[in-house]
Amino acid sequence: MTIEVDQDACVGSGQCVLTAPDVFDQRDEDAIVELLDAAPAAGQWPAVRNAAAGCPAAAIRVGA
Amino acid sequence: MTLADRPALPFARPNLLDLAPLYEVLRREAPITPVTTPAGDPAWLATRYAEVRELLGDKRFGRSHPEPERASRISTAAVQDGPTGDYASEATDHARMRRLLTPAFSAKRMRRLSEHVQELVDTYVDAMVADHDRAPDGVVDLHAHLAFPLPVAVICQLLGVPETDGEHFRALSDRMATFSGEDAQVAREEFGRYMAGLAAAKRAEPGEDVISDLVRAQAEDESFGYPEMVRLCVGLLFAGHETTVNRIGLGTLFLLSNPEQWQALVADPEGRVDAVIEEIMRLGAPGDLGLLRYAHSDVEIGGVRIERGDAVILSVNSVNSVNSANRDADVFADAEAFDPDRAERGHVGFGHGPHFCIGASLARTELRAVFATLARRLPDLRPAVGLDELDVRTDHITGGVRSLPVRW
Repeated sequence: MTIEVDQDACVGSGQCVLTAPDVFDQRDEDAIVELLDAAPAAGQWPAVRNAAAGCPAAAIRVGA
Repeated sequence: MTLADRPALPFARPNLLDLAPLYEVLRREAPITPVTTPAGDPAWLATRYAEVRELLGDKRFGRSHPEPERASRISTAAVQDGPTGDYASEATDHARMRRLLTPAFSAKRMRRLSEHVQELVDTYVDAMVADHDRAPDGVVDLHAHLAFPLPVAVICQLLGVPETDGEHFRALSDRMATFSGEDAQVAREEFGRYMAGLAAAKRAEPGEDVISDLVRAQAEDESFGYPEMVRLCVGLLFAGHETTVNRIGLGTLFLLSNPEQWQALVADPEGRVDAVIEEIMRLGAPGDLGLLRYAHSDVEIGGVRIERGDAVILSVNSVNSVNSANRDADVFADAEAFDPDRAERGHVGFGHGPHFCIGASLARTELRAVFATLARRLPDLRPAVGLDELDVRTDHITGGVRSLPVRW
């Protein structure tokens, strides 16, 4: 699985941090998304897909 | 279509949990339809999930109006009643607002706050239990004991508002949101003066709170007008308690009206509470209107042509919404049912796109503590009056109840 985050599109909602806290974080200064783990283990994949689907800014892209 | 032929908002609803049946018809047959607002002006009403979600993310719509004096008015309250902000600078003002506020409400910060929120909930529930033990009929008011004081205490702390002012700003919020015309506007002005006084106090003696941060940011940025800052502070204090107060009440009613769901939560509070909260956010519809936008250019969508300056009411959660989009059967199976186990995700209960609710993580933190605690401590909780006997604020933009009598 590959994950890309678009920090320009991110609106800092933190939905991804709630959904997949081991993979996504928010920067302290502006709450914009940060990728903690660009190649997470398969156990994380469903949570990552949910985070991508639930992002209100469509700022998370998941590839094969 | 003449103004007289259009359906007039609000549509009468059977009770606080169900919507007017007309919404289902509109979603199917006219997902963006011309209506008349309670103020008597023309507007579009968007009811279907697909269009509402698209409109929420569409930058050709905003909260300001190119010619504000010509804008359709929505209601005679002083909240979501008409255009706000400056048309020329809306995008930059909004970006600055997000930049200033988003970190203070981030998921991480809210997680750190959760222990404190839990302590507050325990204290309020203790008092409610004590009151119950004293009450001859065993009936207590969950609204006064928990739904109201918790969000007020939490937002006061975050913003740096003295909790002792609670009664004062609560009364102002209430008047601002009532369909009363002049008095609503007077209350908004009073709220503004109250907030300006608080801001002046923070300027003299800054604290570690959001209003102090905003005062500091305003002083350092020429383009950040003082009235804009005061308006933002009023909005934060208003939305920061009004929405969650209503959501706790609605959530309690959804759970107690679906006893099998309440029992499931009682059996596994920690395991089920998150799904329960999302379902409360999906279904809950405290008010009778919706989120207001104005078209900033001509837009073709959902088979209609919306012209620059037209008002669009999005039937989705806000302080005052009907929330039809989240009951769209094209997206949610058995959409009217309260079912935390449903497979579908992606409700727009906190909005979508650039205006996504800044307080979403705060709301979830509060709701989580409330419903897990109620399920753990009061497993026999049940309503003391029927749905149709509740004292509902129908003259009020955010709706909700004035009291919520329960027993166990």
